[in-house]
Amino acid sequence: MSEGFAPPVDKVPRGLLLLLLVPGLFALVVTFLLPILWLFRASFATSAVKALSGSDWSLEAYREVLLDTFYWQVAWNTLILGVSVAAIAVILSFPIALFLVRTQSRWQGVLTALAVAPLLTSSVVRTYGWMVLLGDRGVINSTLQAMSLTSGPIRLANSSFGATVALVEILMPYAILAMLSGFGRLNAQLEEAATVLGANRFRVFSRIILPLSLPGVLTAALLVFVLAISAYVTPRLIGGGRVFVLGTEVFNEATVTLNWPLAAALSMLLLVLFSSVIVIYQRALRALDT
Amino acid sequence: MTDPHVQIDRLVKTYAGASKPSVDNISVSLPRGEMLALLGPSGCGKTTVLRMIAGLIAPTSGAILINGRDISAVPVYKRNMGMVFQAYALFPHMSIAENISFGLEMRGIPKAETEVRVRRALDLVKLSGLGERRVGQLSGGQQQRAAIARSLVIEPELLLLDEPLSNLDAKLRDEMRDEIRDIQERTGVTTIFVTHDQDEALSMADRLAVLSQGRLEQIGTPREIFDRPQTDFVASFIGAGNIVVGNVVEPGVADIQGLGRLQFVGGGRAGIPIRLMVRPHRFVLTNVAGNGVNHFSGIVEHIVYRGEIVTLTARSGAAVLKADLPTHAGKLPEKGSRVTLAVAPEDVTVIGDDSQ
Repeated sequence: MSEGFAPPVDKVPRGLLLLLLVPGLFALVVTFLLPILWLFRASFATSAVKALSGSDWSLEAYREVLLDTFYWQVAWNTLILGVSVAAIAVILSFPIALFLVRTQSRWQGVLTALAVAPLLTSSVVRTYGWMVLLGDRGVINSTLQAMSLTSGPIRLANSSFGATVALVEILMPYAILAMLSGFGRLNAQLEEAATVLGANRFRVFSRIILPLSLPGVLTAALLVFVLAISAYVTPRLIGGGRVFVLGTEVFNEATVTLNWPLAAALSMLLLVLFSSVIVIYQRALRALDT
Repeated sequence: MTDPHVQIDRLVKTYAGASKPSVDNISVSLPRGEMLALLGPSGCGKTTVLRMIAGLIAPTSGAILINGRDISAVPVYKRNMGMVFQAYALFPHMSIAENISFGLEMRGIPKAETEVRVRRALDLVKLSGLGERRVGQLSGGQQQRAAIARSLVIEPELLLLDEPLSNLDAKLRDEMRDEIRDIQERTGVTTIFVTHDQDEALSMADRLAVLSQGRLEQIGTPREIFDRPQTDFVASFIGAGNIVVGNVVEPGVADIQGLGRLQFVGGGRAGIPIRLMVRPHRFVLTNVAGNGVNHFSGIVEHIVYRGEIVTLTARSGAAVLKADLPTHAGKLPEKGSRVTLAVAPEDVTVIGDDSQ
């Protein structure tokens, strides 16, 4: 009789329900957890070969990372890049997201799609685009020189300036998307209510719009920050080997100098940097909520 | 007569791209302390009028005068209006007390005074002690009280309420209706509220302005609107009615086509056409059989028992009459039975200007 009906969820044996988790869990363990653990193990090895065999334990890689001011500088560069990219991307995306949320236009959907359309192009292509614009013989420099405003090229690419500009543009769609989903509490009627109560435009913005959009802004900032500090392609390509961030250094140590323990230790550093920022952030978000 | 507190003068609003105005030449004036209802079906322009008074919509033409001064050029935030929105529009990121003090803060009122006034406002709407609550921690009725407190604490020139009871359940609605009226009387604030609910308008307002398709149909006290409707629209929108047309045969008596003679209070020259209305609940059953002046015999076509009353429709000649009759324990009319409905001349309503 009842073969066509599934039993109610609370009647299913617990073990059977947990089975649902198995495929996802398996994929996560194999593709994420195990490699991370292996990376952690490798960071305590003395060489790439030893890292593979797992035969020795040493703090050599960490000693190198922690004692060499170069890596401190790299970590610092990464942090600065992340913070400035996040700040600029959020400031530039905020008005766009605000417009997209508030517009009554029937083009709202099209405009939103346009704002996030750059995501359809690979970030490699977009980075090359910026190189064309910012390079020593790029559009900007040749224009400036043609107008005799500058005598030689100004360094726009091959610098952290170029990396920042390119990353901001590449990551802005993410910021816009995060803000759009975080602006749920914004409501035109609240602004009207504040205006009727005597708030001018500036105060409506500072007392109503800004506080209500803050969760979306903070989510966007976190997302962009995390994506920026782990970026490799853009800083590597547009930095032309002159921009040293954790991403480029990990790649360098792993593939060029083949110092896997060092690459692993740097990855761990990046991981710690990541997680601490996320933890601090979530604390801040929770404090905002209450 | 003292000067009116609020004067709305030939107000017109035509939205861009619209072929006809949403608000068409509306003029109303209110003495200080009056509570006026703007009543009409949705889309009649009542909310647009309210929003123009608040300053949220700019009129196409016409003027809004407060104490004789045209406020059309005054920006919203300087108008000192108290407005309660349909969905209350409380600020979700602030406590109730912060919501209420917002308007005072915008006016630069000192902290100590603000505290006193917020507490007084909370007392006024019976929310004492709930100032520290978050918006989400209050029930719908409490949120509305908070919204009212927020608009009254600034001692506004006018209190504007947009469909104040529509978001409340039936029981709370009755309670808040009395509550709002009571608060309005105690504070003496001139109030305009918008509603589509005739009960709400009749029971709360000092006067009603009935709007239809952007035009002012009639303005008057609840009794005037109910008993002396000037137009068919007002007659049929406010309460149910049997509207009939006929010709005056002698002053105070009309001949109704397909029904018979109807005596009414009022004049009228012989021969002129006239529109009359009988409210269903003003019919009574009579034992006099057959047709006569003001009593009409008919067959019951449809009957609904509703506890305190029975609502029936009876066909008499070419006319169909609707009557609400009080119930009693004895025998009631049934479907198909013959009844005679009678109405007193003073209960016959003349539609339109009855000065003729």
